[in-house]
Amino acid sequence: MKRVVITGLGAISPLGNDVPSLVAGVEQGKSAVQFMEGWDQYVGLRSLVAAPAELRNEKAIPRKSRRSMGRMSIFALQATQQALADAGLGEEILSSARLGCIIGSTMGSATSLSETFETMLPERDLSKLTAMKFFQCVSHTAAMNVAHCLGITGWVMATSAACASSLQAIGTGYELVRMGRQDLVICGGAEELHPTVTASFDILLATSTGYNDDPQRTPRPFDSERDGLVCGEGSGIIVLEEYERALERNAKIYAEVVGYHTGGSGQHVSQSGREAIVDCMSAALSGAGLSPGDVDYVSAHGTATRHGDEVEAQAIGEVFGEKVPVSSLKGYFGHTLGASGALELIVSLAMMGRGVIFPTLNLDHVDEGCKGVGHVMAPLRRDLRVVIKNCFAFGGINAALVCRRLED
Amino acid sequence: MGARMTEQEIRAAVDDVLEDYFEIERERLLPEASIFEDLELDSLDIVDLVVAMQKKFNVRIRDDERVRDIRTLGDIYQFVLTLQEEGISPAA
Repeated sequence: MKRVVITGLGAISPLGNDVPSLVAGVEQGKSAVQFMEGWDQYVGLRSLVAAPAELRNEKAIPRKSRRSMGRMSIFALQATQQALADAGLGEEILSSARLGCIIGSTMGSATSLSETFETMLPERDLSKLTAMKFFQCVSHTAAMNVAHCLGITGWVMATSAACASSLQAIGTGYELVRMGRQDLVICGGAEELHPTVTASFDILLATSTGYNDDPQRTPRPFDSERDGLVCGEGSGIIVLEEYERALERNAKIYAEVVGYHTGGSGQHVSQSGREAIVDCMSAALSGAGLSPGDVDYVSAHGTATRHGDEVEAQAIGEVFGEKVPVSSLKGYFGHTLGASGALELIVSLAMMGRGVIFPTLNLDHVDEGCKGVGHVMAPLRRDLRVVIKNCFAFGGINAALVCRRLED
Repeated sequence: MGARMTEQEIRAAVDDVLEDYFEIERERLLPEASIFEDLELDSLDIVDLVVAMQKKFNVRIRDDERVRDIRTLGDIYQFVLTLQEEGISPAA
């Protein structure tokens, strides 16, 4: 098996449109959550807060590439361009068939889906639909558009497993490079905010509804006053590269991906299962040849739902005990759903680079049910050699990725 | 049925569609310009051009066979003029 390293990062996030602004926002303890004007027109939508990203410079994308892109694909392309530049990769590799592109999301552009149905359904009339709606709405829209715009001829795939989408994309890219099927894979996720997206969680009683007048106090992962998740949007992209190739071209290496596992819980369609999460993290560690004691930081899924946080905390406690530091990043920029695994991994790698663990924002009083793990409630200086990133999705789909810093 | 448009008004309205939907600079919008070679539209753009024209002129032309014969910008102007002559008064 080949070794796989991370050589490029790119981000469009609610805290800014590049990796430095995302990391700086977290480091400064900023919250990107805000009250969403106009959302109150949706009858029954109780959660009126979200963490929007800003669409910028989209006109820099040629029209013939941009026309098939919804908001999330533009985010994905811009994050990919950042990651490629960060990795120092030129255009020639893109069309070599040795570079793949795996970008996941829950679904296609929520705005385009909404516009499509609003156009078609009132009069059951197809004649007003543009040709581009299909390309914006499909589940593989981000991967397809990025690959098309950049002329990528290697593997192109879209992992679609809701909140685990981007971690599955990175995990799949890891397996492809490990097996020698690709030399490089651009991978991550993208997601787009829309009232209908928040509504889908609101209907399931999973959203934060009690902080509409005080948005920056929510979400509150693991906190006793948490009341649900807050949706965000953006795209996180990383470049995975075969280790020897990266060494040969003297690339900057953020970390080595050493373990990955994904699996279903086979229990409940929406709720995570403690045992399945334990098994997932354990399998990722086992694949890495590491034991729980080797892990320096757990980047939790921690969405701030009542049930999900408790189950995850119990699972983390069972595997890692109370000593391994744990934090969730969703208090800073919400739950970016299909992009969350990648964006949160990028911030975790920044922590590794800086030797500091960023705390869980809005975690003031650890809930009784979430105790028993090493919650980080203030910035913590720590030499981070090994980090594990968790993502758990509706459908009972779990994913965990283990990264290790390369020693000089 | 909207007010009858002059040829100049029709040309300006068609040009608006090409500028607004396809980001084509006004100076490139010459009657003799080929919509494929000069204006660089493709078959997918034509689907969207039809949708945009339907909206702009309040007409239904999606199944109109004459759309297939359009080659130049001048052909589009003439097509809209013909629609108006046929009594489908475009209301821009």
